[in-house]
Amino acid sequence: MKEIDIPIEASVGQSRTNPLARVFDELVRFCRSRSMFMLHYCTGCGAIELPPAMTSRFDMERLGIQPMVTPRQADILLITGYVSIKTLKRVILTYEQMGSPKYVIGICSCTVNGGMYWQSYATAKQLDQYLPVDLYIAGCMPRPEAVLEGMRKLMDRIRSDEADGWKDYYRRYDWYLGNQQHLFGDDWQTPADVIGEASHYDLAGPGTEGEHTRLLQQCQKPLEPQQTFFQIGGSLEKKGEFHE
Amino acid sequence: MRPENYQAISHPPSNEYELNFGPNHPGIEGNYALKVKLHGDVVVAARADGGYLHRGFEKLMEGRLWIQNIALVPRICVPDPVPMEVCYSMAVETLNDMEVPERAQWLRVLQLELSRIAAHLFTFGGHAATTGMYTTMYWGVADRDLILDLFEEWTGGRVYHIYNIPGGVRRDIPEGFLDRVSHTMDYIESRLPDYDNLFFTNQVFVDRAKDTGPMNQQQALEWGVTGPNLRATGLAFDVRRDDPYLVYDQIDFEIPTEAPGDAWARTLVRRQELMQSIHIVRQIVEKLPSVGGPVRTPIPNPLAWNVPAGETYTRVESSKGELGYYVVSDGSDKPYRVHIRGPSSMHAVRVLEQLSLGARLEDVAQIMFSLDACPPEVDR
Repeated sequence: MKEIDIPIEASVGQSRTNPLARVFDELVRFCRSRSMFMLHYCTGCGAIELPPAMTSRFDMERLGIQPMVTPRQADILLITGYVSIKTLKRVILTYEQMGSPKYVIGICSCTVNGGMYWQSYATAKQLDQYLPVDLYIAGCMPRPEAVLEGMRKLMDRIRSDEADGWKDYYRRYDWYLGNQQHLFGDDWQTPADVIGEASHYDLAGPGTEGEHTRLLQQCQKPLEPQQTFFQIGGSLEKKGEFHE
Repeated sequence: MRPENYQAISHPPSNEYELNFGPNHPGIEGNYALKVKLHGDVVVAARADGGYLHRGFEKLMEGRLWIQNIALVPRICVPDPVPMEVCYSMAVETLNDMEVPERAQWLRVLQLELSRIAAHLFTFGGHAATTGMYTTMYWGVADRDLILDLFEEWTGGRVYHIYNIPGGVRRDIPEGFLDRVSHTMDYIESRLPDYDNLFFTNQVFVDRAKDTGPMNQQQALEWGVTGPNLRATGLAFDVRRDDPYLVYDQIDFEIPTEAPGDAWARTLVRRQELMQSIHIVRQIVEKLPSVGGPVRTPIPNPLAWNVPAGETYTRVESSKGELGYYVVSDGSDKPYRVHIRGPSSMHAVRVLEQLSLGARLEDVAQIMFSLDACPPEVDR
């Protein structure tokens, strides 16, 4: 029996040798670039130019881009401006909840180098130290036309398979985690099992695990429900108790 | 039958639970969060959880020159940035004992009122979206863009203008600009009946907004509420009339009030303020050609500009309420201390917590939008 030459290591990142598979991949990428859901999480002041870009005047929907309310169904994470440390934690949690492939766009100068707030004690200056950024749209703030142009560029990059920031996150998870631990402290952890996902996608590389992931495993504690914020057992009659 | 050793496990009733409302939530305004405790779907406790947009403005301003801060201040309130520039410039002018040319004062008022119209249109859109009427949002954002086009032609920036500087304004209006302003005002006024049909008299909105988040006048005064939210409780207080700045004492306008103090009244006050702002802009368009002269008083070398020591508090009426700057100078080239009295930090923290009590969960977003809170200004 003749052996069929099927490449075993046909991982997502490398171009496949089977021509049929290549055509199929291209078709998938074409379809993917034409229907993108954008997470509705407005982190900074650049968010004010998104309503004009989304609504009737500039109409992002004609490019196939729509806002989506849940991270699990979204493809694009827009970071619209400066991220304070408190927001960055939520942004990373949100990013890890999104299903791959996922793309990050950094809007405004603040995501590039800190922008207006380069002096500030409260903001993270360079976003790409903590998350893989596929595309930056610089400006303070970028006009809706610039946002649309950036979206078109991202579509082109998805079609030509260049927007692979999400793979970089799996391949160099240890470096990203190290930067996050540097900012948030050694006991920083998220519910997502990134190393497991990396091996699922066959993207685990030498940079996936390292000293920082070992520290993560050492400091890992079982995720417990959050401490209740209000005292339990209140009711409408006892409304006054919660005023303090 | 239950066994004799049966003991009921005490646990909180299953209809009581806590929810994180925001920051990543389509109903919340901006990057802001509320922790709410619910009984069924009625809020029994709420606590605002801000800080997601904190940048440390007041500290940043101490490290920059007086003139550099002009670029920083409009970022404090993104939907309505002009009052920030004007108020800061007025504070620096007061410290310097500086006179502003009359034409520059009229231009400032024109910009303030255009900014107010834009901010109110944006708020209507957001408020309508929380009651499920997305068409109003599309209309409001589209009509606001017409004003942003005017700003772009006038100052070069759509959202942040950096146009008002201590001593006046940066440049004069372009040729034929006033015609385009009055044309845009005519258009926006002609759109208002459509807005009435679609949103303000819509039974869906009236039923949802009436008796939602009510507050009376005494509560409003105790909680430090200002602006349209205070006027919706029946008290006609407006910094533009009661402590006139710039040329507001030469302008004829009314202060609309409503009595009930609920979300419906707050929105109606804004709707009438929009008309008043259009009225003011028309007066300025008539008056401005007869006011000549320069548009700025020359200032010394801004890179080595030592402002005399002293302290001052200036206030203006922004679209959200009373906005004040408390500026202290020690005679150096940088401010010694700046404190910003933002209206939203009163509205979005204590007032929002109090008004949410007893409301249903789906109305919390509506209450927040009806208070017109601006999260970047809360956190600063």
